[in-house]
Amino acid sequence: MKPSTRRRLFRGVLYAVFVIALVAVVLAADWEAIRENFFDAEVAREAFPTIITVAVKNTIIYTVIAFAGGLLLGLLLALMKLSPVAPYRWAATAYIELFRGLPALLVIFGFAFAVPIAFDWRPPGGSAGAGLLALIIVSGAYIAETIRAGIQAVPSGQAEAARSLGMGPAWTMISVTLPQAFRIITPPLTNELVILIKDTSLLFIAGMALQDRELTTFARDSVSQTANATPLVLAALMYLIITLPLTQLVAKLERHNQRGR
Amino acid sequence: MPYKARTAAFTFLAIGALSLTACGGDDAGASDGAANGFNLVSEGTLTVCSDIPYVPFEYEENGEYTGFDMELVKEIAAGLDLELAVQDAGFEGIASGTVLAAGQCDLEASAITITPEREEAMGFADPYYDSLQSLLVPAGSDIKSIDDLEGKKLGVQGNTTGESYARENAPGAEIVAFPSDGELFPAIQSGNVDAVLQDLPVNIGHTEDGDFTIAEEYETDESYGFAMDKDNTELISAVNEQLTELRDNGKYQEIYDKYFTE
Repeated sequence: MKPSTRRRLFRGVLYAVFVIALVAVVLAADWEAIRENFFDAEVAREAFPTIITVAVKNTIIYTVIAFAGGLLLGLLLALMKLSPVAPYRWAATAYIELFRGLPALLVIFGFAFAVPIAFDWRPPGGSAGAGLLALIIVSGAYIAETIRAGIQAVPSGQAEAARSLGMGPAWTMISVTLPQAFRIITPPLTNELVILIKDTSLLFIAGMALQDRELTTFARDSVSQTANATPLVLAALMYLIITLPLTQLVAKLERHNQRGR
Repeated sequence: MPYKARTAAFTFLAIGALSLTACGGDDAGASDGAANGFNLVSEGTLTVCSDIPYVPFEYEENGEYTGFDMELVKEIAAGLDLELAVQDAGFEGIASGTVLAAGQCDLEASAITITPEREEAMGFADPYYDSLQSLLVPAGSDIKSIDDLEGKKLGVQGNTTGESYARENAPGAEIVAFPSDGELFPAIQSGNVDAVLQDLPVNIGHTEDGDFTIAEEYETDESYGFAMDKDNTELISAVNEQLTELRDNGKYQEIYDKYFTE
């Protein structure tokens, strides 16, 4: 037998083993029990259309608010961290270290309950408002580091060239450095966005009114009412329906950016 | 080298998949509690799932689980001549019966209200506790009854009898659901809600330091039950026998008084 034939044969055997293993797993699973517990069509039907009109809608709204807020805050913090004025750098570093180090769930709990108890001040927008403020504060810390890395990745010659053309430092940052930085950090920012979509599920700890529920809270409520786990599977599908097209879109944007370089 | 690496990966995957099926085959015949005649997840042990803490039904004290539910299942396990093992599980898994279907536990004891939907998914023993609801308000609040909640924020624990009672009987209130009493009580302390509708025994625990008081109590015609696999009829009737015996010999009343007298 030629070595190449043997290699092909060996590879064929490996494929066969893989397929047999796969078939064995499929046959061994108790599909009836899985269908009953996780894929009950009637339970799934009951979730519509509320899952779209309330849960998906709120998840998207919360994500957009938290990401937009986090982006603005992150930009401010990144610029502070790169500032020539030391106290700004210290403040930004302290902030970033604090809120990157705390679990988002605990920060949400803090803004919803500890802050009102301590200062007798409640964030606007009720429980959802308090939770969103916390998410903005947490995502701002992460995004700040991403933006800072992006700014530092822009070759210093770019800024120097701009300055030698007579641009001021602020205008150089806005028109030359930042656009290039954001092009560089598109992938990690997408990551932040996807993480944020899922982190909105933590808002439940702050308390939820019926019309404020996002996907996970909605699914947990339905599970408890229908005595069936199907709504959790449905919620998982909804998250994928939101995230997959989004990441595809960003990938497309990235390819476009690459060509534009 | 890349070719070799891929081969290795395939072999690894195949072996992994095979061993997975091997495991799958094993637990299908989850050990028969042959001695007692009912199927148990683990032989000689009554494995109980509960969403802990939910004072005073289940909570941890001195490294042990205790509370009304826990003491009852302790007695039931002893009466059946079984060891007791308690597993803390999320309420979603418990209320949907998933932990039973997945073979994690034999019985769920977690202050579960018996509802028609749940009765379809799981088998319930006879009711062991009638859930009284109550309205907790800050001392000196002008909320004296459920009728004063118009336009106020009312906190409830999500997916409980309290929540459904509130939705039916306080339609004018803005109802805010929290995952557990651990957030519900901070919510009224921080003024995020004006009142809390919750199980009476849980609320009584919050009146102790005098800052909060119970404005009203409500009958709901609903009760708690221990849930089991529907098909495990032997275990269900055995638990029912134990419950009857505990009521007859006064042990039930003893435990009840320990947790529910003011």
